[in-house]
Amino acid sequence: MSVFRHSLGIRHLVCGSCNGCEHEMSALENTFYDITQDGWDIVASPRHADIITVTGPMTEAMRAAAHETVAAAPRPLVIVAVGDCALGIGPWAGAPAAGRGATDELGATVTIPGCPPAPEAILAGLREAAELL
Amino acid sequence: MNELQRSASTTFAERVLGECRTAVPLGAYACAENVRYLFLAASGPYALVRQLDAETTLQPVSGTIPLFSWDEREMADEWGVRFDLLPDARPLRGRHGTMPPAITAHGTGLMRFVVGPVHAGIIEPGRFTFSSGGETIVHLDAQLSYAHRGVERFVEGLDVAGAARLVARICGSCSAARSFAYARALEGLAGVDLPDEVELARLAVAELERLYNHLGDLAASAAGAGWGPGFAGGMACKERLCRLAAGHRLLFDAIVPGGIGPQVLRERRRLADQLAAFAADVEEYLRVLFTHASTVSRWQRAGRVSREVADAFGAVGPAHRAAHGKIDVRSFAPYGAYRRLPVRVASATAGDAYARCRVKRDEISESFRLIRDALVQLGDVDLPDPQALAVPPGVATTVVEGPRGSEVLAVHVDGGGRLSRLHVISASFRNWPVVARSVDGNIVPDFPLINKSFNLCYACADR
Repeated sequence: MSVFRHSLGIRHLVCGSCNGCEHEMSALENTFYDITQDGWDIVASPRHADIITVTGPMTEAMRAAAHETVAAAPRPLVIVAVGDCALGIGPWAGAPAAGRGATDELGATVTIPGCPPAPEAILAGLREAAELL
Repeated sequence: MNELQRSASTTFAERVLGECRTAVPLGAYACAENVRYLFLAASGPYALVRQLDAETTLQPVSGTIPLFSWDEREMADEWGVRFDLLPDARPLRGRHGTMPPAITAHGTGLMRFVVGPVHAGIIEPGRFTFSSGGETIVHLDAQLSYAHRGVERFVEGLDVAGAARLVARICGSCSAARSFAYARALEGLAGVDLPDEVELARLAVAELERLYNHLGDLAASAAGAGWGPGFAGGMACKERLCRLAAGHRLLFDAIVPGGIGPQVLRERRRLADQLAAFAADVEEYLRVLFTHASTVSRWQRAGRVSREVADAFGAVGPAHRAAHGKIDVRSFAPYGAYRRLPVRVASATAGDAYARCRVKRDEISESFRLIRDALVQLGDVDLPDPQALAVPPGVATTVVEGPRGSEVLAVHVDGGGRLSRLHVISASFRNWPVVARSVDGNIVPDFPLINKSFNLCYACADR
């Protein structure tokens, strides 16, 4: 499946993050990091995704939609937990309407710690995810 | 309910309405024993308080002034406050993943479609239910709360100093503004005045946050109009700023109770040098962006907010100032170093996406000036470490001008130095109902650019 490594479709799924991780995910599209140079792209549908990046502690309100999004993506698929919240170790772990994060709840196999992780760290995690495809 | 109680509750609603004529209404919230309607006067924020008992039924204010609608829905649904006929009685938030029904328009030729909660991009979750006749939007119901973590309940009982790290992470986009408001609340209760150099450093941090947000907003507004180079140029400016700030890229924990974070603004000579070159590049970016005719023409007349809608729904920040509004908390009720470095308030009148972008453009130039002046006044003075605060029990309400408008915090501290209640009224919480009204009569393909001209957060609105 290594053919996918050079044309990654990345679908981003926000599950109640503070949007700090979204700022750093968005930075991957700026001219400093420009993931399109690597043939990677943030895609508009889970149907186009090889990777789903997930942020946030998994709020009660997002849980069903998150599972539907993962189910809608074709296989092979790698789920990447971005940021401490998605790893279940963020500031809102244990909050009344927050869950256990993507690692635990969606079975993310690549984890990128940080609050938020810097773009370089997210890129390193995505490369690690690409190796799994 | 007997007549006496009814007349008492009516009187409270009338007092709130009366106050709205002389002060700026900020919103309202409930605690265990009372409800508090918040206002801002030039002298600072204050509350009208109504004690509650098991028999109390309040007259809603939102029937007359819709800006209180989300606040009163939240009070009714989550705090058990009883209102006599709320105009919109739906719960504000979904429960167990199920949203209350959306309000939709029905009639010959009208259709309805739903977008979200998962959006096509790097965007926070929300559900937008459009009713349209062909391409023309007839009604939009914006239902959020997918980012609701229960942060206010979660911080109850925490030590006030330890909670600062959490307060900074309620929302990433306005983290410094909220930390600023939180620090000022605790310092106000403790009766502590900070040295001038700390206040100047805080001003610089707050303006750096405004700069990176406004640059990102303009980039996104260019993308909404389909102009790639405008997006790329703005995002590059934003990235440079995140690197320029030094320390945390998004300024988390840069402002802490009793002072500023240990890494903040310690290399000011380097910052001042880089800032001058950066400011020149930003000015050039803005010149190119605002002379790009096809982008500007997409912005013009899109998402117009009339002065009446802005006032009724309580628009704040650039959304307010783009529609005849004159309130900028930095200038209207100055705090910290804004008392010695007066802000020239940006304004426009058209109320459309273009006006919002112009206000942000003008505020970018003003932020650069403020940071330059603050750095000059700071000179080479050493910035002290944050001081420990002894916070007595009490309630403090603070308002600061964040990138999207007034960021309000109500902080209740108990006798043990712990939070007994924290309530957040974010600029995004105030502005979301304005976004929903701004799209009436616009075409569906303009929604992204209208939305990006506000570029609101979901995290601090949902909490």
